[in-house]
Amino acid sequence: MWRLRRQIFSSRDERALPYLLVAPTVAVLVALSIYPLIYSIRVSFQTGVGQRAAWSLGNFARLASDRFFLDALGHTLVYALVALTFEFLLGLGLAVLLNEKLRGRNFFRALLLVPMMLPPVVVGVVWRLMLNPNFGAINGTLKGAGVNTSQLTWTASPKLALASVIMVDIWQWTPFMFLVLLAGLQAIPQEPYEAAVIDGSSRWQTFRHITLPLLKPAILIALLLRTMDLLRVFDQIFILTEGGPGFATETISLYIYRTAFRFSDFGYAAAMSFVLLILTNIISLLYIRLLQRQESA
Amino acid sequence: MRAKLKSIFTLSSLLKYALVLLALLAALAPVYWLITISLKSEVDQFAVPPRWLSFNPTLVHYKDAFVARSFGQYLITSAIVAVLSTVCALVLGTFAAYALARFRLPRKLDTRLALWILSTRMFPPIVTAIPLFLMMRDVRLLNTKASLVIVYTAFNLPFVVWMMRGFFMEVPREMEEAAMVDGDSRLGALRRVVLPLVAPGLAATAVFCLIISWNEFLFALVLTQTDAAMTLPVGIAGRVTQYEIKWGVMSAAGVVAMMPILVFAMAVQRYLVRGLSLGAVKG
Repeated sequence: MWRLRRQIFSSRDERALPYLLVAPTVAVLVALSIYPLIYSIRVSFQTGVGQRAAWSLGNFARLASDRFFLDALGHTLVYALVALTFEFLLGLGLAVLLNEKLRGRNFFRALLLVPMMLPPVVVGVVWRLMLNPNFGAINGTLKGAGVNTSQLTWTASPKLALASVIMVDIWQWTPFMFLVLLAGLQAIPQEPYEAAVIDGSSRWQTFRHITLPLLKPAILIALLLRTMDLLRVFDQIFILTEGGPGFATETISLYIYRTAFRFSDFGYAAAMSFVLLILTNIISLLYIRLLQRQESA
Repeated sequence: MRAKLKSIFTLSSLLKYALVLLALLAALAPVYWLITISLKSEVDQFAVPPRWLSFNPTLVHYKDAFVARSFGQYLITSAIVAVLSTVCALVLGTFAAYALARFRLPRKLDTRLALWILSTRMFPPIVTAIPLFLMMRDVRLLNTKASLVIVYTAFNLPFVVWMMRGFFMEVPREMEEAAMVDGDSRLGALRRVVLPLVAPGLAATAVFCLIISWNEFLFALVLTQTDAAMTLPVGIAGRVTQYEIKWGVMSAAGVVAMMPILVFAMAVQRYLVRGLSLGAVKG
């Protein structure tokens, strides 16, 4: 033992050192990320409990005809697509706006980032307060302006609930898009713009042919990170609606949670979590392919 | 001076300021509303039209939440779990990051390991939440702070490795080579020469870990259900999904949960882009 210590701390022979430094981290991750994953694969291929557990593909076969699962998948995709679109467009607009020379720009930037930093649970509480049909600030303000709000029950209405939770996501995560895209904009060198001025390009042409292509890597990374988060969304929806009313806002993560921790059907929940994992992997691989093509071009 | 004033008051710059103010209003009004609800008596909370400015502030909900109810305990649990898991992740992750930044291992093992470590961070949390729940149940760690410290350490590790690797790579090799020529060992040079240089990055990484652990909800929900072990977010969630909701208590707890995060976030402003994109975008 003493010799080993001496070797680590004073020896000039460094062949073993990097492995010793990395080993604890690898051990923790194998125990708490890889082993759980394997454990979960095993559970997903078993039906029945404890002693009577049997190997089968039953859990995966069930997926195709499970209306709740297909609905949850649909909600997740709609949620991700709509939120991503709005967050990207609004974030890009804000980034372009704040990239101009405005007084107090850094101060504004810091304040705009507040929603993104909040604990997701607090975001849920904030918007339950805002959207409450009886005393919420939104309907209260509308009532004050003489609007009839009896139909506007937001998260309590089967029709508006999904739109409401998407709106909350847009509120919270547009700042992220804004932040990453602004950093991308600020990293673009000045020379191409000077050339464009000499050529007499219009502002739109400059944006279309210079800014967007140079911003593409930042755009792809922002979209990639947001997409992965959107597909796994859980926290705010859990607080806002718990997947309701009925199952109108139940996303895949919420359905998996319900299956595992309300019905204790861990095998089926694990099977669904694999579908989610594979879905996120395929989509992120597509982005990464695009990014690599971008870098080699 | 006059030229400056002129540039502020041109039509297009007025329009820009108007748009920025609109965005600020949209981003901050809901948060302001939460704070006012936590300070309002119930009569003012339910007033229509809503009272944004004129109400008599009271601290009764804070007292109710943190003295009469268990939110004080949740707060302490959240703090303990966040600090311990951050320390563990930093200690383990910094060594690994240093190795992966400085040593070229055979067959590109260093790059591969770094990417593998990052990829463990990409699993949707619900995927590992189920097996981790079953594992913690098997070893009888459900409803303990230890289970959360362990899980958050593993959750933050890839983040620490990836961030710190970036910071180490920015330190020129010559710095520690000079120290080693003077007779320092490799780890001695790391401690005396390199760590002081990356101290700001280390601090920023620590703050990010604190924020991530403090905000985390799903694992905490799955692993802790008793008052003695639950964190602030789980405590808040448990009260929100009940039928009769005490809005004042809820929002007071929410304000207390968000305040440290906002302070921390301001402290790491400079590193936000890098932290949130895991170094994919240098900010």
